[in-house]
Amino acid sequence: MPTLKIDGIEITVEPGTRIIEACDRLGIDIPRFCYHPGLSVAANCRMCLVESNRSPKPVPSCYEMAVDGLEIQTKTQKVIDARRAVLEYILLNHPIDCPICDKAGECDLQDLYFAHNYQPSRHAFAKFHKPKARQIGPQIMADSERCINCTRCIRVCDEIAKAPQLHQVNRGGRTYIDVFPGTEIDHPYSMCVSDVCPVGALTTKDFRFKCRVWFTNGTQSVCGECSRGCSIRIDTYRNEIQRIMPRENPTVNQFWACDAGRLAYHNYETDRLQSAKANGQPVASDAAITQLATALDSVASGARVLVVLSPSMTNEAAWAAIKVGQKLKGMVRYAIGGREAGFKDDILICADKAPNRAGLALVLKTLGVEAVPLSAALAGSPQAIYIFGDDHHLEDVLVKAMDGAQLSVVFSAKDGPLANAASFAFPTMSPYEIDGTWLNEFGILQRVRPALTPTWDARPIEKWLGALTTRLLDEQIADDPAELFVTAMSSVNALDGTPLAASGLDGIGPFGIALK
Amino acid sequence: MAKLVDRPKADLVIRSYIPEVLRGLRVTSRHFWVNFLTRKNVVTIEYPEEKYPYPPRFRGQHRLMKREDDSVRCVACFLCATACPADCITIKAGERSDKNEKYPVSFEIDYIRCIFCGMCEEACPCDAIRLDSGDHKLPGYTREEEVLQKEDLLAKGGLSIAKQGGILQ
Ligand code: SF4
Ligand code: SF4
Ligand code: SF4
Ligand code: FES
Repeated sequence: MPTLKIDGIEITVEPGTRIIEACDRLGIDIPRFCYHPGLSVAANCRMCLVESNRSPKPVPSCYEMAVDGLEIQTKTQKVIDARRAVLEYILLNHPIDCPICDKAGECDLQDLYFAHNYQPSRHAFAKFHKPKARQIGPQIMADSERCINCTRCIRVCDEIAKAPQLHQVNRGGRTYIDVFPGTEIDHPYSMCVSDVCPVGALTTKDFRFKCRVWFTNGTQSVCGECSRGCSIRIDTYRNEIQRIMPRENPTVNQFWACDAGRLAYHNYETDRLQSAKANGQPVASDAAITQLATALDSVASGARVLVVLSPSMTNEAAWAAIKVGQKLKGMVRYAIGGREAGFKDDILICADKAPNRAGLALVLKTLGVEAVPLSAALAGSPQAIYIFGDDHHLEDVLVKAMDGAQLSVVFSAKDGPLANAASFAFPTMSPYEIDGTWLNEFGILQRVRPALTPTWDARPIEKWLGALTTRLLDEQIADDPAELFVTAMSSVNALDGTPLAASGLDGIGPFGIALK
Repeated sequence: MAKLVDRPKADLVIRSYIPEVLRGLRVTSRHFWVNFLTRKNVVTIEYPEEKYPYPPRFRGQHRLMKREDDSVRCVACFLCATACPADCITIKAGERSDKNEKYPVSFEIDYIRCIFCGMCEEACPCDAIRLDSGDHKLPGYTREEEVLQKEDLLAKGGLSIAKQGGILQ
């Protein structure tokens, strides 16, 4: 284990650690552009220069390995001068169009300029001009004048997406990033190039000119587009989603997320169910609950009842739904709906397009409930149907079964055939508005947080069920996700043996909890 | 700490107000007769025929400046909206086809909230917004009238040839 000294502080690191990583561990700030912890090292920006006792010239700390006996200085005049000079060169032909750049506010070049250079340009000649505002793929805009040629974007395509679609053209000050002639950047992770770009050279079409980054509020949540459940940050402004960014999580998605997951929020921007409905007609929420309570009494005690759960529900909502199901009159059976399996790769995207199938199975198991296959359950022509969620791919079959049933109740965030065919439909939250937990395919339990508040009377599933049980049953069922979490997970332990119920919903850290 | 103020007790003469009213009347009538007979050194201004000249730094209604091709100078950078302490500027940005790339599709200023502090003018990197129109924002009867749109603000605008950073060529 090499032991080295950085600014006089001794640190022992594993062999193969870079100096910049040792500095990060000590909390010593090293400015950088081309180094990215999730990518290979290119060492081409020279922003990370430090002084070493092994070299007469400053060395790039992102490239040099930490070895025994090394003494590193990061705050000497030589280092300060080197940083200032590197920045001056990088900014030589930079267009300084921050006012129209979507990266402004989270741009490394802006921040490092103010921290390490902060002098007017001494470049008296005309600047080189390169292509600007070009769309180089369905999701990506390129502004080559802003590029600092760190090649992070190329490395993301090559190493992470395994789709080498970007390269550098020209030489010297005229170098820029481009796609190959006649092609575009269209792999499933193309928006990641904009995340790693330290400047505004590659930006996304979706976020283009939408909002300045300093206005946004980030909510740490989980993507619901496949069973990996990538950690995401939902950036909102004035109760609208502006963009979705991947969030670092070493056990789930490292630093990345796929385009489909980041654009999925558009599905819930339109066609929302904005009020409770009875037989397709809008009614007040309270009236709908009262009417439903009456209708429930008329269900015969031997009736065939089907509860269709969605693998996109939170564990808490699923728990509440099954608990209420167990109180219903009739022969209650449970089935699992959800989206169809689809495209998968061996990077992030999983075939199962539901975020919580594993969690749902866990809840069913804890409650000792067996789920039957949906098609078999529907073939038994149920007399009462309860449908949770709005992303069931067998929608037309469900609608037909609802037409044949005496009573059908739908809890859905989207308006559509299901909500219109139901005897009662209740507006619920979209995946960006719910609070609770999802368990991904790999056994990581993560917290889903609400980033938006609907302006109409939409409620989480557990709240509707809570309101219903107060009317219907003598027993009140908890409707708060934190309370439900503790009950639902009372017999579940984390991988390290600690019971989940002890830490509670707020005890779930940013990386989630690995379960057994 | 509150400070106690000594209040002398008013006697009957003061509390009757009569001597003070008479004293006030004397000043008023002196002005009246002097103005009426001599019309010299008149302090009042005959508004609205005559208007008080505002100092050059008076901050009035905003105007949006124009480029040489008559298009809006603003590049929708939102710096004014960021600087505005009253949060009264609402911009929607859009794409323009020329090299300037970005422009405000809509630009609203809510004058019910604006406090005419001039922070927006100060923040603007493009000399696109100014408060030097010399006009008051006139009051209106509805809330909608108090929100001026891009077109209203451009109507008062003029040409600006400032370079980036506000340095005149
Ligand atoms: S486009 Fe961005 S990420 Fe790619 S080389 Fe240029 S600065 Fe680096
Ligand atoms: S003058 Fe002040 S309050 Fe009015 S718009 Fe400008 S910054 Fe806002
Ligand atoms: S600061 Fe100037 S350029 Fe930027 S949005 Fe406001 S008026 Fe437009
Ligand atoms: S970060 Fe080390 S050379 Fe770029």
